[in-house]
Amino acid sequence: MLRLEAVSKRYGSGRWILRDIDLEIAPGTVVAVVGGNGSGKSTLLRLMVGVSRPTTGRVEGRPATVGYVPERFPPNERLSASTYLHHLGRIRGLSAAEADQRAGTLLDRLTLQGGNDAPLRTLSKGNTQKVALAQAILRQPDLLVLDEPWSGLDADAHGVLAGIIAETAAKGGAVVFTDHRESVTRANATHIHRIADGRISDPVTTDREVVEVVLTTGTHDPGWSGLTGVLSTATHDGQHIIRVDREHSDALLTTALRHGWSVDSLTPERRR
Amino acid sequence: MMTALIRYTLATVIHSQRYLAPVMVFVVCVATASGSNQGPLPGVYAVNSGALLACAAWLSIAVISVEEPAHRAIAIVTAGSAVRVLIATLVTDCLVLAAMALGGLALPLLMAPHSITGADVLVGALAHLMCGTTGLAIGLLCSRLVFRRQGYAFLTASACVAAALLVSGMPPNTLFKHLANTGHGDTVLGSTTALATTGPALLAAAAVATHVISTRKD
Repeated sequence: MLRLEAVSKRYGSGRWILRDIDLEIAPGTVVAVVGGNGSGKSTLLRLMVGVSRPTTGRVEGRPATVGYVPERFPPNERLSASTYLHHLGRIRGLSAAEADQRAGTLLDRLTLQGGNDAPLRTLSKGNTQKVALAQAILRQPDLLVLDEPWSGLDADAHGVLAGIIAETAAKGGAVVFTDHRESVTRANATHIHRIADGRISDPVTTDREVVEVVLTTGTHDPGWSGLTGVLSTATHDGQHIIRVDREHSDALLTTALRHGWSVDSLTPERRR
Repeated sequence: MMTALIRYTLATVIHSQRYLAPVMVFVVCVATASGSNQGPLPGVYAVNSGALLACAAWLSIAVISVEEPAHRAIAIVTAGSAVRVLIATLVTDCLVLAAMALGGLALPLLMAPHSITGADVLVGALAHLMCGTTGLAIGLLCSRLVFRRQGYAFLTASACVAAALLVSGMPPNTLFKHLANTGHGDTVLGSTTALATTGPALLAAAAVATHVISTRKD
């Protein structure tokens, strides 16, 4: 379990960016860190993944496989998405075939547009963000750290990202992400921390139950994301995957059946 | 895993083409100096290794600045440590440097008639080794990992290169004087070997210093 003990950070003799942060990230939890610009969110995430070291205090228990998506992923690389992911997969210890296969699967799932073999710098911001996301989960991470992962992603990829976060937690990994929108954090996180003036609040837990509904073969799309209680939607292999609040799931199912959709599965999401 | 990391760094550097400018400048320097110089080989190699020192410093700055900080951060998380990423960068530098040094050694032999002895070539190789690694060390210490401002980095690197080449008593400068004043490599083989060890030692020290400084800054 990742633990930050009395962690403070400043650069040189500048102002303190983080002060006395105590934080535990348990496996299977999804932790949101919310705060304004310059509040120290990104610095906190960099300390968690080990890119940066605390000025005082300790970061302990970092697991073996860490995935990290930085706030900005500048697309200056001349490598293509598939080559970039191939190299990073190899560094993570995958075989060449495994790396290529995993990269292909992830880019398909995230529906990369602009071409898997086009240089990264020719891709749009949303599409480079998909590559940044794919590199972090080439191996199933024990700790997945995402800095503003929704920025620039198109609406359909929002659902895929929510799915990836839920899956990682369900497989026992811990997820930490930042965002400034209440709707996004409440829909995805089990614990929410606020950060202001370098200090972090105790967690607010979101204890609602979430159900994942998988639907197929509908004739008419009622606009799933607009229905009450729907947290995220994604399309994969002709299936609609919808995450919905437990208290609104019955209403969603009624709507689905009325429009001729077939319910493939209904899974309560594991929350800790 | 280190092999994969080195391959990734090499692929990034080759695709960026930033290595081209220092390599081309070095080749032009060597071709110009060697083509017109029919004097003793050690003297020719002294000039070539001087050019290699300056170009190696440039190369090492260019290779590090290829990678955006965000990409470097991802590489560090993926590889699991900043030390591994720095080592991969150094190995990449050394691979390009080795190719340049081969050019510096071979071009004079191809471009003008010289009487060649094994000692001459060995002395030349040692001079290239020493100057190449000294150049890499200067470049590393003046790279973005240490200097955030590129202007200061450039000025510092230029001053260090000039000092290494021109200031009397600096190991490269001493080496050039030995080589320039001899017609036969075997007479300076001992002193060259002793001086040549300073290059790799300096590079190792620079790598440690760069790692310590860059982790403090991050």
